[in-house]
Amino acid sequence: MLNAKLGLSAALLEINAWSGPLLFESNSDLVLLWYLGGHALASLLLAAFVQALLPPTRTRPRWATLLLLAGFSYAVPIAGFVCVLAGSLLLRFYKLTPAAGSFESLQLPDFDPHLRSQGVFRQAGLRSILNNSQVPMHTRLGAMVALQYVPGRVASPLLRDVLSDPAEDIRLLAYGMLDNQEKRINRAIDDELQQFGQATTDAARLAAAQRLSDLYWELVYQRLALGDLRQYAIDESLRYCEQVLAEHPASAAMILRRGRLRHEQGDYAAAEADYRQAQALGLPATRVLPYLAEARFEQRDFAGASRLVQELSAWNSLPRLRPIVDYWTRA
Amino acid sequence: MTFPTADRADIALLLEGTFPYVSGGVSSWVNQIIRAFPEYRFAIVFLGSRREDYGDPKYPLPDNVVHFEAHYLYDDLVSRAEPASRPGNGEAYALIEQMHEHFAPDQPVASALQEFRSVARQMLPGGRLTADDFLYSEASWEMICDHYRRFCTDPSFVDYFWTVRIMHTPLWKLARVAKDLLPVRVLHSVSTGYAGFLGALLHQTRDVPLVLSEHGIYTKERKIDLFKSEWIRDNRNVFQRDPTELSYFRQMWIGFFEWLGRFCYDAADPIVALYEANRLRQVADGAPDGRTQNIPNGIALARFAPLRALRPAEPPPVLCLIGRVVPIKDVKTFIRAMRRVVNRMPAAEGWIAGPEDEDKAYAAECHALVRSLGLENHVRFLGFQKVEDLMPKIGLTILSSISEALPLVILEGYAAGVPTVSTDVGSCRQLVEGLDDADRAIGPSGAIVNIADPQALADAAVALLADGEAWQAASRAGIARVERYYTDRMMFDRYRQVYDGAFARCPEAR
Repeated sequence: MLNAKLGLSAALLEINAWSGPLLFESNSDLVLLWYLGGHALASLLLAAFVQALLPPTRTRPRWATLLLLAGFSYAVPIAGFVCVLAGSLLLRFYKLTPAAGSFESLQLPDFDPHLRSQGVFRQAGLRSILNNSQVPMHTRLGAMVALQYVPGRVASPLLRDVLSDPAEDIRLLAYGMLDNQEKRINRAIDDELQQFGQATTDAARLAAAQRLSDLYWELVYQRLALGDLRQYAIDESLRYCEQVLAEHPASAAMILRRGRLRHEQGDYAAAEADYRQAQALGLPATRVLPYLAEARFEQRDFAGASRLVQELSAWNSLPRLRPIVDYWTRA
Repeated sequence: MTFPTADRADIALLLEGTFPYVSGGVSSWVNQIIRAFPEYRFAIVFLGSRREDYGDPKYPLPDNVVHFEAHYLYDDLVSRAEPASRPGNGEAYALIEQMHEHFAPDQPVASALQEFRSVARQMLPGGRLTADDFLYSEASWEMICDHYRRFCTDPSFVDYFWTVRIMHTPLWKLARVAKDLLPVRVLHSVSTGYAGFLGALLHQTRDVPLVLSEHGIYTKERKIDLFKSEWIRDNRNVFQRDPTELSYFRQMWIGFFEWLGRFCYDAADPIVALYEANRLRQVADGAPDGRTQNIPNGIALARFAPLRALRPAEPPPVLCLIGRVVPIKDVKTFIRAMRRVVNRMPAAEGWIAGPEDEDKAYAAECHALVRSLGLENHVRFLGFQKVEDLMPKIGLTILSSISEALPLVILEGYAAGVPTVSTDVGSCRQLVEGLDDADRAIGPSGAIVNIADPQALADAAVALLADGEAWQAASRAGIARVERYYTDRMMFDRYRQVYDGAFARCPEAR
């Protein structure tokens, strides 16, 4: 509304400025002053009107743009006025498409850590050395050997990555290491299955069921079973877990296990209910809250995850969780 | 059981842990080769670990095997006689010392091999370096102590002492075998390792041409076994251990087999691989490039072609792994894959057709895995079976091995019209997808998947079995490929040239 008034005022003032010389039919200084004064005010109002019309990105810095537009319509009578108006309309309705970039897209340089002198492989370094087939074979074999001392849960995905390595020695070594890990658990599962089948007392049967649930869970936790096998291990672990819970419904550790298994199955609501129940039955908050927070996070409830981690920060949690607590509780 | 013996033979086959006691690809190949050359008289020298590790022979000896002897390297390791103290031959131990100095990584291989040859000569009966001296002499003890102080990074001297003894003692047994072997015109070893050492020693002492045919790469396979083995101890504590360094005893064993390999490559001509990647590996391990060549395996088409008519119209939902139940075949990945196959095709069955007596612990693990995956009704262990009986009843041959060369079982399946799903090992990709443009134009005769990937193996198998048209196309491609590139005739012609060349170089022909 203000804009329209500004535009209208500018036009009227300009007509008014021209009307002086036409009405008075005189060449006196007063008439000239009348005209110049009216024209200047009209130019200023026009500039203000036009500036409001244009997108903000095109009118910065504001005072300089205002002065330029006013100066242009003032210095070139009539034509300047018309051109400023026409130009601003053109700018308002015609948006320029950005010019095609003349830059070529480039690859980032590869980071090749083996070329840097380093005595030890940190976990990230180990991964990049294993995955880089340009690294000399003895260095890669050294990295593989070092993996023996890394926890299975961390080592398994690294080993699985190099199963398709072009170097057969690396491939076979990775296979052997994975197989050894898996073999130990499967051997134990087979022993427990026999114990379970031959158990004569309920206590022995339940003890075997609990160990079977533990062992199948270990396959999942160590990331040794993938795809259908992982699903199968989860189902079996859950089946034996339920058998134990049927007899001992207040076993907090088994309820936590059931929660973890349901969590892995993607049944977050049931998992959360188990976590809460396990906590209510006496498990320390530091053992349960991280899983609850994880379940919230996986449901994209970031506020809920943050709240739970904040709750966790009140406890003396494991040092390994410290960076996560710090991240989620940052103001 | 009695075996033939003779005064002389044309070709001595040096076989370590294979024909006739162990069934499998290499043994079938040996059987094929002997029967393909009835005009030659063969002598077989079988080298095994201990007599109790082998049952009865799995193959009858062909008529042209005129001589057979078996030696077990780890039987009678302990002398029955009371050992007597002795000083040991100082000059002989100086030779050994010199050889070990040349084994250092900065020394030229040629000079190390020269030293190795002179030490090996002294190990023959009558030489200055006797087995008793090695086991009981003061000079030997001094050398072991000195090497332990200078080189060993494992704190346990007891383990070091016994590792040195157990590692080297079989070489004297082989030296005795070399001395006593009947006269032959050509030596043919089917691996490096102990058999290759024997071949090289015989070549050196008798100047008889040595032919080497390697199916897998012996040194590489030993290396992997040694990396995996749980019986080799590492006694370093947390302060002594460099986590990137292999335990010293593993390194010793690996170095030992590497030098046996180089010793054999140095003496052999020609050195035959089954396909190019293995040939390059031999060259990298020390084989002279100019003496190497590739001769692919081939099969007798006439044996399998009639089976095509016996196939049912629709592919039977049976996946069959034909092979020994041993870790290298990775039978467990096949069993795991069956879990997924059965989830998708409940009628599917997995058959494992092969003997289980070679590695009983592994076979037990496989049975346990079947139980722990609840596959008792879907996976069957058939034991050793005649391939001809199996082929018309199965839909796919499965090869889940972690290492192979050029597996005959894939070719046999092709000849019977059965496509394959195989891991990407050895020359399997070339067998399934083709080697050159003309071969690739035939089309894929199955599918290739990564090792130890049960998901991918199962998906590839189900994709072929569930799509009759794709299965028929793969079957046709397999038949065309085996008929064009992998017949036994082609292989025998190449070996005829190899033998003719070797006979022309034998001392009698000169």
